Amino acid sequence: MEPIEIGLWVTGIMLVMVVAGMRVAFAAASAGLIGLVWIFWAKFGYAPDKFTKALTVSVKVAGQVPHSKVSSQALSLIPTFILIGYLAYYAGLTKALFEAAKRWIAWLPGGLAVSTVFATAGFAAVSGASVATSAVFARIAIPEMLAIGYNKQFAAGVVAAAGTLASLIPPSAILVIYAIIVEQDVGKLLLAGFIPGAFSAVVYVTLIVGIAMVFKNVGPPVTGFTWRQRFEALPAALPIIFVVVIIICFVYNPFGDQAWGTPTEGGALGAFVVFCMAIYNGMKWEQLKSALLETAKLTVMIFTIIWGVLIYVRFLGFADLPGAFSDWITSLEMSPMVILICILLAYAVLGMFMDAIGMLLLTLPVVYPAVMALNGGESVAAADSAFGMSGTMCAIWFGILVVKMAEFCLITPPIGLNCFVVAGVRDDLTVQDVFRGVMPFFIADGVTIALLVAFPGIVLYLPSLAG
Amino acid sequence: MATSAAVLEDGSLISRLDGQLLRIEQALALVSGLAVFSLMVLAVVSVGGRNAFNAPLPGYVDWIEQAMPLIAFMGISYVQRDGAHIRMDIVVAALKGRALWLFELISVLLILLLMVALVWGSWSHFGRSFDFAAPLWSRDSSIDISLPIWPAKLLVPVAFSVLSLRLMLQVWGYGRALILGLKHPVAVPLIQSAAAQAAAEAEQLSGADNGTANSGTED
Amino acid sequence: TEWNVSVWGKRRAFTEHVERLAELVSEKTNGEFTLNISYGGLSKNKENLDGISIGAFEMAQFCAGYHRDKNPTITVLELPFLGVNTLDEEVAVANAVYAHPAVQADLARWNAKLLMTSPMPQYNIVGTGDPRATLESFKDMRVRATGGIGKAFAAVGAVPTSVTATEAYNAMESGVVDTVAFAQHAHLAFGTINRADWWTANLNPGTVNCPVVVNSDAYDMLSDSEREALDGSVEESIAHYLDNYGALLSKWDDVLTEKGVQKVEISEEQLAEFRTVAADPIREAWISDMSAQGIPAQELYDLVMDTLADTRK
Ligand code: NA
Ligand code: NA
Repeated sequence: MEPIEIGLWVTGIMLVMVVAGMRVAFAAASAGLIGLVWIFWAKFGYAPDKFTKALTVSVKVAGQVPHSKVSSQALSLIPTFILIGYLAYYAGLTKALFEAAKRWIAWLPGGLAVSTVFATAGFAAVSGASVATSAVFARIAIPEMLAIGYNKQFAAGVVAAAGTLASLIPPSAILVIYAIIVEQDVGKLLLAGFIPGAFSAVVYVTLIVGIAMVFKNVGPPVTGFTWRQRFEALPAALPIIFVVVIIICFVYNPFGDQAWGTPTEGGALGAFVVFCMAIYNGMKWEQLKSALLETAKLTVMIFTIIWGVLIYVRFLGFADLPGAFSDWITSLEMSPMVILICILLAYAVLGMFMDAIGMLLLTLPVVYPAVMALNGGESVAAADSAFGMSGTMCAIWFGILVVKMAEFCLITPPIGLNCFVVAGVRDDLTVQDVFRGVMPFFIADGVTIALLVAFPGIVLYLPSLAG
Repeated sequence: MATSAAVLEDGSLISRLDGQLLRIEQALALVSGLAVFSLMVLAVVSVGGRNAFNAPLPGYVDWIEQAMPLIAFMGISYVQRDGAHIRMDIVVAALKGRALWLFELISVLLILLLMVALVWGSWSHFGRSFDFAAPLWSRDSSIDISLPIWPAKLLVPVAFSVLSLRLMLQVWGYGRALILGLKHPVAVPLIQSAAAQAAAEAEQLSGADNGTANSGTED
Repeated sequence: TEWNVSVWGKRRAFTEHVERLAELVSEKTNGEFTLNISYGGLSKNKENLDGISIGAFEMAQFCAGYHRDKNPTITVLELPFLGVNTLDEEVAVANAVYAHPAVQADLARWNAKLLMTSPMPQYNIVGTGDPRATLESFKDMRVRATGGIGKAFAAVGAVPTSVTATEAYNAMESGVVDTVAFAQHAHLAFGTINRADWWTANLNPGTVNCPVVVNSDAYDMLSDSEREALDGSVEESIAHYLDNYGALLSKWDDVLTEKGVQKVEISEEQLAEFRTVAADPIREAWISDMSAQGIPAQELYDLVMDTLADTRK
């Protein structure tokens, strides 16, 4: 059997294991190991006495991957970004941010929902994980919305959808993972996420205001805050801005030629500032311990998926599946834009059944080279390319599109993690309620993605400034 | 604190073993968490040294690469104990009784098989970097300050061995449930409905909220 | 016979001999013996020797400075200020060292057999901002420089902060390092030249040694004609590599102009001082360290010097 056929069979085996409920990380790693054994044994002509050798080589190749792939300076971003989120919660930053947003902008139609989106976008600038963001805001924002007579499904939907902003607006663990898989500039990608993230927030807000104006009972405005009250709410929320500025200066320094350091260092410094604030606000060892344990748990979970999937990816390398898929895609007699749209639609379908990080790790090693080839190669000039942008820019643009798709899958049924989390906050909300409430936001996300595809400038403006 | 609500306990041998192992697992997970914390401190020291005193930290990248395995692997068994590694439970959530235990049993058996293989593979990876005859026993070293890499590589088979122990316990737990037709077996993570799961997470957050002196004002 | 070859990055001057070797071997055996070259799909570059030792692939390229303890003997070729001036001299000294029994025994621990070198010119540094033209200005500079070159910079107060070649651009871009030491082709291939404001034209602290090795068992299992095709193609592949690299070097000044990169000349006094501080102490430390491990270090160093003298006759 040809290596490529083996690649397809093993991929099938993996999907069966995943659907049957095996933990995704271990299903991918098992498939990778089985695939390696198959490839090596095939290389030895399936000689019965060579099976042990094929097994030994495969086990040793697979056994390298966890340490090898995890010991990376770039991946050290992930735990730091997760730690920030937990510490920010303990420091009371989340609550303060929502309070300030409420006093300043809740006078709009659908005011509290609008405030929730903006507060979440602000929190997204220090938090790198969507699910955590939704969980935090579900506790803070939903009760207030319900108290003034919001439709409960709508209130839940707002929080579930707004949580996804955390992965576009930097810092973002998932953008970093994309950058690492495709070997692109982490700083530029994080920078590129900023405008699309803010843009998504604006689209959400427009939608909310529109809905609130049509259906009067959906979300009444909240008025009556004095300017004094508005300014009083700011100091408590200000530290977030401080942290944001630090992170931006480390990712891309707007004041000078050189960034102050790496995104990792920026994240770490941000986490340190938030840590000091949490201590100032009275955090005790027991709470710090909980924050650390929860950080460890989420980090380990993510890293297990990373190395598990990378064992499978190592097998794909031996089967040369990425090369074959890329050849197939470029040989299709369709316009590159149509193919790209098909790829994005495929992500929407796949995303219904998978979690975001697992989906990217699984698909990118195959899909990314194909998209780059579609555009005309890694080093193509903008003038000669299919999408009218250089190879580097295409990598960034596609990255943002894919991450937006991955975020979309966090709110789509049947597996939409954000919705699960939000549903748990109040006993009177079921998962079905949240899925129903989040549906209008599918339209918003569809519009956002269409605009990002049609006007790549939204994504590429900031990174192109960075040179 | 951790969501251990999904794992039932009683006084039986398997449950006591589960408790013993959990203590080890929690300690290891805390090591992971402390390693994240030290990563943060390391970055602050490095940035501060470089920008404030123009004295960069030698071997900064080397140290990060050494710390990463500590973060990534030590808690792996703890996460498996709570059933928190991500999976798609559409199919298993529809199963009940013996059929469910059978699926779970096959699943953990496969993972156990995988982990035994990976203990072997990662041990051999460690072995290639270790040499009793060499200075610092090192046969593989980091680029800048030549730190021996074998201690970091050794963490992998160690963490995977603990996970293998956990998996053996879960094989026992699910096997027992399958044979005896138990409804609520101990020492294995039980599937919660999606809503119950989310409730557990929310509860976790509200628990966290209690001790926080909040700076926001109430209306 | 089909061999997998693990290299990294993308196709560039540094991998041209491997590409040429694959063509020649396939031609000479009428397609009976093929080399599949994989750029990063089979292994991480720091682990290519592990992959050879396991038998995961049959041929691989790696750099000695990525992991000194894996290959102590060939680090002799990475000592700073060895005085190797041309790529031909680089090939000659590498061949001599690779033929030494102690070196072969060192690599045999990885089940590896040295096939050929990847000769590279002196590693000079690129940086941003004001040019660094004095030893004084090297103090506290974070420089991506592996092996002996890194040690040389450390000797004048710089802080080697190294990542592998594939990560160098990111490190420079994000400020992990101020400067990157590379050969010309790598400044081009890994994009560091695009970030640079200046390049040192005559610092010439030394170079890095990156051999291509084969798995010994796989090599022994080749048929006679296949082995002959492989061994017989090495010389021509290296010749092709040197031509290609020569062409690249002749265009280098144009590249600098095009990218607006300033050529920095360092004064003779400064260079002399650099050599005094770095060359002798680092070499002596290397010889005593390696001798303590039972490696004939002095002998290897003398071999390099003698070969160099012979080549120049
Ligand atoms: Na974020
Ligand atoms: Na989904």
